[in-house]
Amino acid sequence: MEMVEVRLENIVKTFNETVALKGINLHIKHQELFTLLGPSGCGKSTTLRIIAGLDYPDSGSIYFGNDEVTFLPSSERGAVLVFQNYALWPHMTVYENIAYGLKLRKLPKDEIERRVRWVLELVRLRGFEGRYPTQLSGGQQQRVAIARALVVEPRVLLLDEPLSNLDAKLRLEMRSEIRRIQRELGITVIYVTHDQEEAMAISDRIAVMNVGTIEQIGTPLELYYRPKTEFVASFLGSGYIGEVDFEEGRGYLCGIELRRNLKGRFLVLVRPENVLIRPGKSYEVVSYELLPGRMRLLIDVNGCLLLSERPLSGVLRWGRIPSRVEVEILDFSVIRRLRG
Amino acid sequence: MAVVAVKTNKMIEKLFGTPLPDPVVMFSFLFPLIYLLAFLVVPVLVMLGTAFEFNGHVSLYWFKSIFGSEYYFNPLHPQGYLVQTITYGGQQVYHFWGWDFGVVLNSIVVSISVMILTTILGTIFAFVMARYEFPGKNIMRVLLFVPLLVTPFVNVVVVKKMFLPNGVINWIFYQHLHLLPKPIWIDGLVGVIVAQTITYYPIVYLNAYASFINIDPSLEEQAENLGSRGFHLFRTVTFPLALPGIAAGATLVGIFSLEDLAAPIVFQGSSIARKLMSFQIYSSFVSGFAIGNPQMAALALVMLTVALIMFLSIRHYVGMRQYAMLSKGGRWKPRVAKPKWWQAVLIYLVVIPMLLITIFPQIGVVLLAFSKRWYGTWPEGFTLQYIKALITQPDVYRVIRNSLMYSTVAIFIIIFLSLTASYAAERFKRSKLAPVLDSLATIPIAVPGIVIAMSYFFFFSTVPPFKGTILDPTNLLGFFPGAALILAYSIRRLPFAARSIAAGIKQVHVSLEEAALNLGAGRWKALTSILIPLILLNLLGGAMLSFVYCMSETSVGITLGSINSSWYPITAKMKELITSAVGSANLAAALGVFLMIVQITAIVIANVITKQRYSFIGLT
Repeated sequence: MEMVEVRLENIVKTFNETVALKGINLHIKHQELFTLLGPSGCGKSTTLRIIAGLDYPDSGSIYFGNDEVTFLPSSERGAVLVFQNYALWPHMTVYENIAYGLKLRKLPKDEIERRVRWVLELVRLRGFEGRYPTQLSGGQQQRVAIARALVVEPRVLLLDEPLSNLDAKLRLEMRSEIRRIQRELGITVIYVTHDQEEAMAISDRIAVMNVGTIEQIGTPLELYYRPKTEFVASFLGSGYIGEVDFEEGRGYLCGIELRRNLKGRFLVLVRPENVLIRPGKSYEVVSYELLPGRMRLLIDVNGCLLLSERPLSGVLRWGRIPSRVEVEILDFSVIRRLRG
Repeated sequence: MAVVAVKTNKMIEKLFGTPLPDPVVMFSFLFPLIYLLAFLVVPVLVMLGTAFEFNGHVSLYWFKSIFGSEYYFNPLHPQGYLVQTITYGGQQVYHFWGWDFGVVLNSIVVSISVMILTTILGTIFAFVMARYEFPGKNIMRVLLFVPLLVTPFVNVVVVKKMFLPNGVINWIFYQHLHLLPKPIWIDGLVGVIVAQTITYYPIVYLNAYASFINIDPSLEEQAENLGSRGFHLFRTVTFPLALPGIAAGATLVGIFSLEDLAAPIVFQGSSIARKLMSFQIYSSFVSGFAIGNPQMAALALVMLTVALIMFLSIRHYVGMRQYAMLSKGGRWKPRVAKPKWWQAVLIYLVVIPMLLITIFPQIGVVLLAFSKRWYGTWPEGFTLQYIKALITQPDVYRVIRNSLMYSTVAIFIIIFLSLTASYAAERFKRSKLAPVLDSLATIPIAVPGIVIAMSYFFFFSTVPPFKGTILDPTNLLGFFPGAALILAYSIRRLPFAARSIAAGIKQVHVSLEEAALNLGAGRWKALTSILIPLILLNLLGGAMLSFVYCMSETSVGITLGSINSSWYPITAKMKELITSAVGSANLAAALGVFLMIVQITAIVIANVITKQRYSFIGLT
C-alpha cells in the first residue's frame, strides 16, 4: 500500500458569513489513527468533509502525500467517509451497498464477489449479504458502512462520529473493532468525535478543536497531562484549574502546598487522580459519586471545590466514606505562565 | 493561474452552489431556468410590454383607458342588485344577480367572496372530519372525494340547473320542505360565485384537514390543562395553528376564481357574468380582437398583478408562520371525540346536507351523460348514445386521443423539469440561482391560464425564431396547437409536480448521495443509482397528478387549443358543445364522465402503487 500522509494548510471555510474554519493546519501521518476532537460546532466535521471532498475550502490547500487534492472531486480522492448516519442505501442489499464502489471501478464480477466476501469476514457480517439495511441492527448497519468504505481500499478512511448512534455497550465493542481493523489493514484513519473518552481510547494522536481553530495536537497522554490551554484542560477529563504563585520552588493552591522549581504566577491543572485523600479532620467531603471501580469525592478545600478520584478498593479499606479528609496533591500540570 | 482558478471557482460556487463546474449540476439549474424564461417569463413580459406603449411612446394610456371607463372600473355607483323579487313563468321568485362595479372590481369581488365562502365551507368540513367520530363518517369521507373530480363546464351547467326556479334546490327546499318562502333563482355574478364555491371548496378542505390533523395534540392538551375549553380553545389555539394551511388553500382558491373561465362562460347568458376580467380577455381573444390589442394586454396585466399580490402575500405569510406547523417527534394519535348532541344535530342536519348539495354537480354530470334531455328538475330518458359516442363518434374520440397525447408528452417534460429544478434548488441551496429557480417553478400558480394563452399567441406569432413555426398560431397551414398546448401544460402544471418531487428529495438525506460520490460515483451516477430510485414513488405520484391536471386544463385549451378543430383537446370540445346551439350538453357530460374515470384511475394507481395518500385539487 502506498504511503499516505494528509496535510492541511491554512484551511479557511465560511458558511453564510460565519467562519467555520479559521486557518486549519494538520499533518496526519501514514497509518495513524488521528482524531479530531471538539464540541459540536467546532468545525471538526467540516474539516472531515473538506478532506473527503464533499465541501471545498475558501482558501488553503490539502495534500495527500505529494498530490494536491484541494479541488479534486470527492469521487477521485480515495478519501472514503463513513457517515455519522451510515448513509446506507435503503433500496440496496448489504451486498449491493458494499459492491457499489467496486462496480464503479469496473472490476470483474468474481473479483467483486471475492472482495465483498473478504470485507464481510473482516467486519464479521458473513451471511448478511441479502439483507436490506432496515433489517439490520444499528451495530450491524455501522459495520456495513465501514465495510462499504474499506472494500474500495481507500487511501484514507474518514469516520464521522461513527459510534454516536450506538448504545453504550456496543460503542465499546465497536471501538476496539475499529482499532483492530485499522491495525490489521494498516490504513490511515481520521476520526471525528466529541467524546473525549472515545478519543483517548482509540487515537494515536488527537487534535482538539474549538470554534474553528485547533487548540492543541498531541498524543492522548500529552493532551491529558500537558494541556496547553484551559479549553483542552477542561474538555479532556476533569480537574481543578487554579492560579498559583511560586516562590523558592513552592506554591499554594487553595492552601495546599505544591512543589516545583518555578518562579512567578502560573495557571495549573490538578487531575482528580492526583488528589490524594485519607480520613482526617481538615476538609469536608461535600458529595461523592460511585463510578465503576472508582469513587469521586468533591472536597471543600478552603473554599475551593477539589475533585478527588480514588480506586474503590482504597476507599473500601477505610470501612466507610469519610465525612472529613486530609488532602495531598501528588502531581499537577502547568497550563501556562500568567503575567504579574 | 491558481488565482484565476480560485476566482472562477468562487463565481461558479455563487451560481451553482458548488465550486466545481459539474455538468449535471449546471444542467439541472440551467435547463429549467431557460425553459421557464423562454416559455413563461419572456412571452408574458413581451406581451405586457405592449400595454405600456401608445403611439410609439411609453405611456400609461391603456391603463388610464381601463380605470377611466365605467365599464371596467365603477367603484362608486354599482349597477344591478344582489337579490330582487321578479316574476318568472307567472311565479314570484327571488332572483340573485349581483352588483356591477365594473370588470376589474367584479373579478376582485367574486374572488374574495369565493375565498370567504370556500373557507367557511372547507374549514367546517375539515374540522368535522378531523375531530369528530360519528356514525356515517366513513361514508362522508368517501363522499368528500367526489367534489374533487373535475368536469370542466358541465359541472357548472349542472350547478346552474340546480339553482333555477324549477331546479333541484327549490324542489327540495321550496316544494317539499317549505323552508323557502319563494323559489330562488341564482344567476349572474352570484351564480358564478356559487359555482366556483362548489368547485373550489375542496382545495380549502384538503389544506384545512391536513392542518388540523398535523397540529401536535400536546399543544391543545396544554391549553386545556391550563383551563381553555370549547370554542375558546378553538379560537385561541386550534384555529391559529391551522390558519396558515387554511389561508394557503383560500389564496389558491382566490387565484383560481380570478382566472376561471368555465363559470363565466356557462353563465354568459346573463350579461353581468361577462363583466369579469377573465371573460373579457377570453372573449376578445376568440373574436380575434385581443391579438395585439394593448388594452387587453393592460387588462391581463391588472389581472396578473392581482393574482401575484395574493400569491406573494400568502407566501410571505405562510413562510413567516411555518413554525406553528413544525411537528416534533413521531406521529401521534389524533384527537377525535364523539360530538355532543347539538353538534351531532348540526352534523346530520346541516353539514351532511351541505355536502350532498356540493356533490350534486358530479352526480348531475353522470345523470346528464346517461339521459336524453334535462329541461325540468330532473333529467329524463335513459340512453347510452352519448357514452357510446366517446368511442364511435370521430370528432369525440379524436379529442380524447389528442388530450391523451398532449398530456402524456407534457408529463414527461413536467417530470424532467421538476426533477432538475427540485434537485438543483434542494441540493445546492448555497447557489444564488436556487431561490430564483424555486420562485420561478412556483410562480405559474399565480399566472392565469388566459394570460399565458394570450402571451403565447402574441409571442409565437411575432418573435423570431418562433414566428412561422408550428408554434405560430397565425401560421395557418403549419400551426400545430398540440405543441403550444404541451408547452402551456408543462408550465402551468409544473408547480404541482415540482412540489411532490421536492418533497421526495427533501426526505432523502443528502448523505446518501454524498456516500455515492465519495465512493467514486459522478453526479450523474449518484442521481440515477441513488436519488431517482429512492424518489421513484414521488415521481410517479407527481406524474399522475400532472396527467390529471393536464387532461382537465381549460384556459389554454379553449383558446390556443380551439384554433383547429381536428387538434382540439377535450376541454375545447366540451366548451364548444355547451356553448354552440347545435351542441349537446349531454355529450359534453359524457366527456366529463370520461375525465372523472381518468381521475379516479390515476388516483387509485397513485395510492395503490405508492402506498401514499395522494389527492388532487380541482384544477382546470
